[in-house]
Amino acid sequence: MKVTAIQHKYMTRAFWEERLRNIIPELRDQLISYRRSGAAPGVFRSMVLKEVGDHFRSWRVIILMVIILLTCIGSLYTALTAISDTGSAGNSDETFFFLHLFTLSDGSLPPFFVFIGFLGPLLGISLGFDAVNSEQNRGTLSRLLAQPIPRDYVINAKFVAALLVIALLFFVLSFTVIGAGLLTLGIPPTPSEFMRILSFMLLSIVYVALWLNLSVYFSVRFRQPATSALAGIAVWLFFTVFYPLIANLLIKAAAPSPYASGRSVYLFERFRFLLMQVMPNELYSQATSTLLMPSVRSLGPLTMEQMEGAIPGPLPLGQSLLLVWPQLTGLISLTIFCFILSYLAFMRREIRSR
Amino acid sequence: MLNRKQILTRIFLPFLLVMLSGSLTVTAQSLRLYTPYPEITVPPGETIDYSIDLINNGASIATAEVTVDGIPETWSYTLRSGGWSARRISVLPGEKKTLNLKVELPYDIDKGSYTFRVLARNHAVLPITIEVSEKGTVKTEFTADQGNMQGHATSNFNYKTKLENQTGEKQLYALTSHAPRGWTVVFKPNYQQASSVEIEPGQSKDISVEIKPPYNVKAGKYTIPVMATTGSSSARLELEADISGSYGVELTTPDGRLSEKITAGRRRNLELMVRNSGSTDLNSVRMTAVKPRGWEVTFTPDTIPFIAAGESTQIRAEVKAYGKAIPGDYVINLTAQTPEINADASFRMSVRTPLLWGWLGILIILSAIGTVYWLFRKYGRR
Repeated sequence: MKVTAIQHKYMTRAFWEERLRNIIPELRDQLISYRRSGAAPGVFRSMVLKEVGDHFRSWRVIILMVIILLTCIGSLYTALTAISDTGSAGNSDETFFFLHLFTLSDGSLPPFFVFIGFLGPLLGISLGFDAVNSEQNRGTLSRLLAQPIPRDYVINAKFVAALLVIALLFFVLSFTVIGAGLLTLGIPPTPSEFMRILSFMLLSIVYVALWLNLSVYFSVRFRQPATSALAGIAVWLFFTVFYPLIANLLIKAAAPSPYASGRSVYLFERFRFLLMQVMPNELYSQATSTLLMPSVRSLGPLTMEQMEGAIPGPLPLGQSLLLVWPQLTGLISLTIFCFILSYLAFMRREIRSR
Repeated sequence: MLNRKQILTRIFLPFLLVMLSGSLTVTAQSLRLYTPYPEITVPPGETIDYSIDLINNGASIATAEVTVDGIPETWSYTLRSGGWSARRISVLPGEKKTLNLKVELPYDIDKGSYTFRVLARNHAVLPITIEVSEKGTVKTEFTADQGNMQGHATSNFNYKTKLENQTGEKQLYALTSHAPRGWTVVFKPNYQQASSVEIEPGQSKDISVEIKPPYNVKAGKYTIPVMATTGSSSARLELEADISGSYGVELTTPDGRLSEKITAGRRRNLELMVRNSGSTDLNSVRMTAVKPRGWEVTFTPDTIPFIAAGESTQIRAEVKAYGKAIPGDYVINLTAQTPEINADASFRMSVRTPLLWGWLGILIILSAIGTVYWLFRKYGRR
């Protein structure tokens, strides 16, 4: 009995190992066939580089970058003055001194991560709003498509190029902040702090990519660049200004009386929390604040049972990531969803030369 | 043993003399000896001052040789009159002369009755009896007011002792003790730690003896002999320390770490160590826990029947975290208690959230990426 059981187990294990061993070559074969299918090698790469070059040469991107750089330097300065003012307050965040650079402010300017949350959508919209329609209006798109390249190379290259520019900008910004912190504070960031800053950067890139994809979709959808830019800004304004107003109205209407039971108050708080979760900027700010402040332990409403016996203390990075994992999942899948939208719209579009 | 000659000289000769002088006083009754205290009781080592009157009842001047006879050899005495050590004394008729006899008793004598005589030779005999009330003490005396003390295992025992030099010479005493292992005995003759003390003859010195029991001493009565010795004499004193049991219990883990990771809603075993740090055995140590709501702590066993003094026992605590606990640190307080004493240990439980929702999120993202891949395959190669 025992021998047969072991043999059986061994057989299944070998089977699974075989499957696992085969899965990687299979994927590699598929990838190679996919890359070789359309055009000569290196075409996509040169398209992306061309797009990146166009971005860096356009005044629009340069102005935006200068604005972002200046504001970030301003908020870095306020963070540094706030750090030297407060000295060392004895809170549990004290061990994560370096992260204060991103979150602290003396009140004259918002802190770094709020700025990124505010300016990031604008950057994404401005990089993508004329991606397709301006080329179409200039007539270069039909010429481009006349070349022997797959059609999706065009939109993929535009997306990847913009993403590269954004990633470059954020890496430069974050490392500027880290460098300035090293110069002024004189202490290096701990590995966990560095990993938190890195995940904050990646999250910011994903967040800007969301708005980028949305504006690329609008640029496919609308023929006039001004219209698509306005549409992007309208969505952004809706989520930053109007949606909170509407949500507040709903919340006020649904507010329980002060004599309501604890259960209904809890459900109401849960409802309010969920209502706010619809906004991508809210998702982003929750995720960043949790990543940059290790003492944040919970985002939603809490019951007394959960609070009892809890003592303040920083969370490890893995737990912080798990805490904001719903928000991260929402942001990433929303970004991918927007990409799918713009991809589908572009691929189904009929492009005629003017 | 006295030999025959000594018997003759010591016993018969004085007796003969008494008989002889008795017969002489009968013949010449003019001189008489008088003292108010012919028989007294004194302790050893005492110095007695007798005043003896030599009275002349006769009509002429009488002269007599006054001697003391039959006094033990180890005793010392002086006989003085008018400031001199006089041997022959003359008294006018009808008058009297006062003599001072000073007898110093040594310390080293037996209890009993001693009789000696003061003689006015050829005239009178005055027998004096000294009753020694007790046996004479040894030459050095080491005493304590309160030789027995009671206290905890951690307390210091301070004994007030007195060392008396009853020898005739100045002595340098070495102070030693025969304490069991682990005990500390400190002598402080003049409020300062010392190992020897010098005492003048007949003088005494207060010596405070500090005794400190070892940290893990068991409850009970202990006798600590202390000694003061010189080359010629020694004195021994037994001090008694009655140690009442102390209760002590400690609650830790075998490696001393008081924090543990736990996943919300899951169980985790903690190894605990209950140590009896007192000096008495502990019976039925009960384990309890103060925990946040929704948490569970079960001990196996939840009551430890017996821990001997100084020993420790390992037990297991199974902690179950609240299913809805938020990530981060929670505190649970574990207590080991007996009616006499208790010990707390605060455990910091770092709660981690289960990965279930994380996997769901990864699944959603993977499906989105899969959709993109499918779109590439479908539309990309047209």
